[in-house]
Amino acid sequence: MHKVWAVIRREFVERVRTRTFLLSTLLFPALMIGLTVLPVLLDRRAKAPKRVVVLDGATGEAGTRVADGLAAAKRTGSNGGARYSVTRLVAGTDLEARRDSLVRHVGVGSEGEGLDGVLVITDDAITTGKIPYYGANVGSPQDMRRLETEVQTALRLERLRRAGIDPFVAMPALRPIDLQAQKVSGGATTGESGDASFILAYAMSFLLYMALLLYGNQVMTSVVEEKSSRISEVLMGSMRPFQLLLGKVIGVGAVGLVQLAVWAGTAMALTRFRTQLAGLFGVAPDSLRTMPIPEVSPGLLAVFLLFFVLGFLFYASLYAAVGSTCSTVQETQQASVPVTMTIAVGLILMFSLFGEPNSSLARLLSLLPPFAPFMTPVRHALVKLSPMELGLSALALAAGVVAVAWVAGQIYRTGILMHGRRASLREVWRWLRAG
Amino acid sequence: MYETAITLERVTKRYAGHTAVRSLDLTIPRGGIFGLLGPNGAGKSTTIRMIMNMLVADEGRITLFGGEPASRDLSARIGYLPEERGLYKKMQVLEQLIFLGETKGLPRRRARELSGQWLARLGLSDWAARRVEDLSKGMQQKVQFIGALLHEPELVVLDEPFSGLDPVNSQVMKDVVVEMARQGRTVLFSTHIMEQAEKMCDRVAIIARGEKLVDGRLADVKRADGDRHVALAFHRNREAAARVLGDRSLVARTDDYGASAEVTLAPQASGDALLEALLGAGVGISRFELVEPSLQSIFIAKVGADAATAPALEESRA
Repeated sequence: MHKVWAVIRREFVERVRTRTFLLSTLLFPALMIGLTVLPVLLDRRAKAPKRVVVLDGATGEAGTRVADGLAAAKRTGSNGGARYSVTRLVAGTDLEARRDSLVRHVGVGSEGEGLDGVLVITDDAITTGKIPYYGANVGSPQDMRRLETEVQTALRLERLRRAGIDPFVAMPALRPIDLQAQKVSGGATTGESGDASFILAYAMSFLLYMALLLYGNQVMTSVVEEKSSRISEVLMGSMRPFQLLLGKVIGVGAVGLVQLAVWAGTAMALTRFRTQLAGLFGVAPDSLRTMPIPEVSPGLLAVFLLFFVLGFLFYASLYAAVGSTCSTVQETQQASVPVTMTIAVGLILMFSLFGEPNSSLARLLSLLPPFAPFMTPVRHALVKLSPMELGLSALALAAGVVAVAWVAGQIYRTGILMHGRRASLREVWRWLRAG
Repeated sequence: MYETAITLERVTKRYAGHTAVRSLDLTIPRGGIFGLLGPNGAGKSTTIRMIMNMLVADEGRITLFGGEPASRDLSARIGYLPEERGLYKKMQVLEQLIFLGETKGLPRRRARELSGQWLARLGLSDWAARRVEDLSKGMQQKVQFIGALLHEPELVVLDEPFSGLDPVNSQVMKDVVVEMARQGRTVLFSTHIMEQAEKMCDRVAIIARGEKLVDGRLADVKRADGDRHVALAFHRNREAAARVLGDRSLVARTDDYGASAEVTLAPQASGDALLEALLGAGVGISRFELVEPSLQSIFIAKVGADAATAPALEESRA
């Protein structure tokens, strides 16, 4: 154990010390903060309200209502001014001629001159709901959705009035609903919202996928580097291949965990300290869009972590075994394809089966070590699995980890002394039987 | 206390195309320096790797420390310097040594202490905080040498320890090896440089093509071949001397060094006959002495000049 610990420490310390690690660990949070704050800041920079003309060709108050609605719209941000500068023009007899002459001013001149857009309201448009808008900048879906929402609210009121319904009675009746899903298992509520645990399970699968591709690969590269620097033979004279392998996988895994923890911590801190962050940049807290932190019971979290760790050990050992059969990093790219494919298949199966988490296929996959890390947590989040099924799945996976680690150690012990070329499958098979 | 440090009994190792080691018997007593000699590709590294239990013998038995089967559990008692040198290039020298010590079971603090002492002894203290890749090749080799000895092993296995070292560094490492032997530790080292082996070894074994040719105390090995060797030096008429030495009824082999030569007598010939022949041919002799053969001449006689220069096909594959 002392030796394994020495390997873990070396892997961890030497990796964490590198500039690459520091950069990649800090770059991601910086990027996250940037992505949260930047849109708001950019939005605020476009200070001038958009100059919009509402060309009113409708009878009654429709045009006025739309114009008033737009004029009242505020820009997001702490000190947001009016979003639009609205002028209502009555169309008169020749609506099309009027419209064309207005459109000629759209997008002309520099900022602050000309018009940004022309909105045409007619009785016909109110009925069909198709409202023409001639804008200089219609590319941003976000801007268009905002405009749409404003116009829609105004026109709803107008439609209700035309139908002879008091909007103050009707609007509350039309309030949208939000389904409050509560997860129930075994007849008792769990206190978790179904959404939260599912999202987390889903996120964990993705995280595992990412962690394997990033850090699993690092295990493999590190094995190859040890081979090419020839230190592997010195180490083989001091410890069992299994010890070296275990230390390496855990060491690299720990580096990965630290990095992931920094990232996840940043995401959580961003949400929690949203107000302070907003204050720092002088924007309204509500305007920052951040990730929701799901509320999950500790029990569920423990299950997730267990499968995450076991899954990592399983695949990282496989990667190490692949690395020991190769002589160069380039060779590993090709040799590791089967492992990478299996991981991808696990993720895809997880996606395609979450409609039917209790199907016999899903149950079977939960018992197969390569797929259990992806299937079981998601299934558990969807339909709480019995302790029996959960235990069996974890046990199968743990047995898989031991088996893979043994096989990998076996391949490692011979492969690590071989230089110059990649081992063929037949050779690998012979090494296995020799053990 | 055990008497034999390493025992090999009829050990055979085959690779896909050939047999690297064939039915090898070897007994290496505790204490002293044992030289495993042989040309490139003789099976030295394969033998050493089997002793280290890195390779498993196809046949035969290997025991260490008076009867314990070779296994990695014994690794804490063995120091090993492989033929292929290797260190973590990006690691600091001191960190590297501490790590190597830890893999041999040393507590971290003790490993740090010993590393400091060794670095000072081999004149590398100033380099302790440098990365390995900043060191010269010779310095790297010394670092790895320290790594093999740090945990004060009772058995030290060194595969070609002196190759690639300049005379000064070679001398420093030789002193360390000799001192270890004096402390009662067992040193097994392989080499194909005979001068080195001749000066250092108490016992030698010569192997070629996977088979043992000679084995025993260095003095005995030399004596077994004694009285058949003549050291010669000429000061006149060297052409005539060359003709006499070319006579196969008198001389079996000649190592010609120009002004001097070492000669192995033909089976039926005597030293007297050779001296007469040389005088008769008018050669001016400044030295004529019956000597113990050098290890070099024994080696070449046993292995054959062709094998000594054979390409290192086996060891690169092993």
